[in-house]
Amino acid sequence: MYIEYIQSILLIISAILIIIAAIGIVTLNNNKKNVFYSRIHIVGVFDMAVILAMLAIGQFILAIIYFILAPFTAHAIGYAFFKSEDGFNNPDLEKTDDEDEEIESPFVHSKEEIQELEQSTVFVDDSSDSGFSVATLDLKERE
Amino acid sequence: MEILIISKYFVVIALIIMMFAALRVGAYRNTSNALLGSSVAVVAFAVALLFIGEINYIEFFRDISVALILFGFVGTVVFAITMGGDN
Repeated sequence: MYIEYIQSILLIISAILIIIAAIGIVTLNNNKKNVFYSRIHIVGVFDMAVILAMLAIGQFILAIIYFILAPFTAHAIGYAFFKSEDGFNNPDLEKTDDEDEEIESPFVHSKEEIQELEQSTVFVDDSSDSGFSVATLDLKERE
Repeated sequence: MEILIISKYFVVIALIIMMFAALRVGAYRNTSNALLGSSVAVVAFAVALLFIGEINYIEFFRDISVALILFGFVGTVVFAITMGGDN
């Protein structure tokens, strides 16, 4: 009799935690920075609530398995986001974005850069034609 | 006896709410949000299936939920590595 009450209390606590996590994961403001990591944190609350519910109904092995697997999932998702889409915290992504922009517009230059090119004097050496290089072969005639 | 069944139904309803919230998160523009939302939705569905099997005394629902949790984990980690988390 008392075990059923304890089970019911645990299930109600886990249900309340799940509802709070559901409300929180939807109502997070997307315009704030690092909001994805906050969302992973909320998913961690959901994971622990689910484990509590599994323990309450007597599925101990499943609860232990999920208790081990859930942090791996959260870490994998967070690391993938950091490596691929987190331009705010990952400096490598900022560099690649700049390089992509330069590659996308090879013929567009700024006005200051063109003015510098016009004003610069190009040194031309008339004495030797440096644009060409002649390769000579030393041929020895047979005596 | 009654309060245990009622609390089980309460958990199932909460899991369904969480499933809809996870689907909403999965519909965002980022790929990582889609991955997170789909992972949470699969886990919520698996646990809801586990509870429905407990309520209605259906044995094989537990096997389905174990398979969903294990293979959902594997799929999530593999997709995360494919996205660039292994560099």
